[in-house]
Amino acid sequence: MICDECGQREATVTLTVVQGTERTLRNLCPECMRRMSNAKGMLSAIFAAAMANMAALAQQRPAETEVEESLEEEALPDKTCERCGMTYAAFKQSGRLGCPGCYEAFREELQPMLQQLHGRTQHAGRQPLQTEAARRTRSRQEELHRLMSEAVQREDFEQAAALRDELRAMAREAAE
Amino acid sequence: MSVSTVLSSRVRLARNYSDLPFDLSERPDLAEDCLSRTAGALATSGADKGFLLHRMADLSEGRRAFLAESRLISGDLARAVQTGAVLLNERDGLSVMIGEEDHLRIQAIRPRMELAEAAGDCFRLEDALSKQVSFAFDPELGYLTACPTNTGTGLRASILVHLPMVSQQGKSGEVSEMAARLGLTIRGVFGKGRLALGDVYMVSNHVTLGRTEEELISAVLAVGRHLTDLEATLRETSRREERLTLENRVYRAWALLRSARTLSSNEFYNLWSSARLGLSLGWIEAEADTLDALLWDTLPQHLVAWRETALDEKKLNEARAECVLNALGKLF
Repeated sequence: MICDECGQREATVTLTVVQGTERTLRNLCPECMRRMSNAKGMLSAIFAAAMANMAALAQQRPAETEVEESLEEEALPDKTCERCGMTYAAFKQSGRLGCPGCYEAFREELQPMLQQLHGRTQHAGRQPLQTEAARRTRSRQEELHRLMSEAVQREDFEQAAALRDELRAMAREAAE
Repeated sequence: MSVSTVLSSRVRLARNYSDLPFDLSERPDLAEDCLSRTAGALATSGADKGFLLHRMADLSEGRRAFLAESRLISGDLARAVQTGAVLLNERDGLSVMIGEEDHLRIQAIRPRMELAEAAGDCFRLEDALSKQVSFAFDPELGYLTACPTNTGTGLRASILVHLPMVSQQGKSGEVSEMAARLGLTIRGVFGKGRLALGDVYMVSNHVTLGRTEEELISAVLAVGRHLTDLEATLRETSRREERLTLENRVYRAWALLRSARTLSSNEFYNLWSSARLGLSLGWIEAEADTLDALLWDTLPQHLVAWRETALDEKKLNEARAECVLNALGKLF
């Protein structure tokens, strides 16, 4: 089966494109599917189609998927990390990113996933010592910890609580 | 109750070099680079005292399996035969795994509820390393890891707790639900699937992003305390209302453990749990450390290492019983 789009390459997926009441069948090669998925609309549907296609390939038969065309649909992540060549689809399959650069390349797509996994998307923890600000924060935190244990030792719990609050606030600020 | 129901604490930090791909298993050249940077940084910082470098390729399969069983290295690292390595301080329970899913997994294991101390061990190691090298970090997302489930702090804190009564009364389900709301997971440690042999459970955080390391550790400790309190309450009720049943369970197990000449792992875990319960109740005379060490010493690879020969199922069961007799003393 030849691709309806380019008329050259072998089509590997059949899409049923639904526009209002009209349905059209389209046979596409991977190349054209990728190109079309970069155009707006029908994107996550094509992603679903690609998934169905993979399942079908495993059984050696062409896939058939319905595609609802919609301009509001979220863009299908079909991106590639320039540093390591990892594609977003490959990441979705393996669950492992290719390199630290992937976080930049797939930032938009990773946000909702991180939100779902962790409930938050802003780091609040430790920072590398290399950043000067972090180094200053760290030494202030150490001082606060010292003052706090001194306050606890002399049973000045009010002071200790104030210091603890300051430490917590610093941890949050460090994240922002 | 003077004997802790918390058996051990573990913290691990996932860290990666910003200029290397995460997966080094197909790239021995880069894996070697990763290894020499790490070992070099630790040596330069002077924090390498007590550490020995072991390449997985240089260790026998048995030794790798032994280290994985002891949790000093992960199963994934044990399988990274070609490119994996570990900087190991066995005595202090410290490991820097190199070439795991992430470039580095800095890990500390401590006894009892020393979770904050274990975290301190990891941070000291990380600080020592990061004076020499830089790790992949994003101001918004924190430390970047191969799997987004570890992104942010890259920290996994866990404690092992012995909960025979919580387990017996089927309360672990509701506790699990509570833990899940806090971003924590509770699961069995020994045995496959949903089993929790020996009634030993692991409480760990699965959320790693958006909380400080302190908050994550506090959450694990808080659930640990909740479980310990719940267990104590159930034990107290049982001691009051079903004393005979409880005594029967404890003393039978204690006698069997010190008499059996062959023990399957299932039987061992059952007896161990009851004996450990008796110890916590102050009914039997034994050292908690001795009893707790048996949990690891009776594992297959530990028994093989002890006997210095391959063991089939029958021989394993015999070795397990002998190991227990040696530790606890022979009754008959």
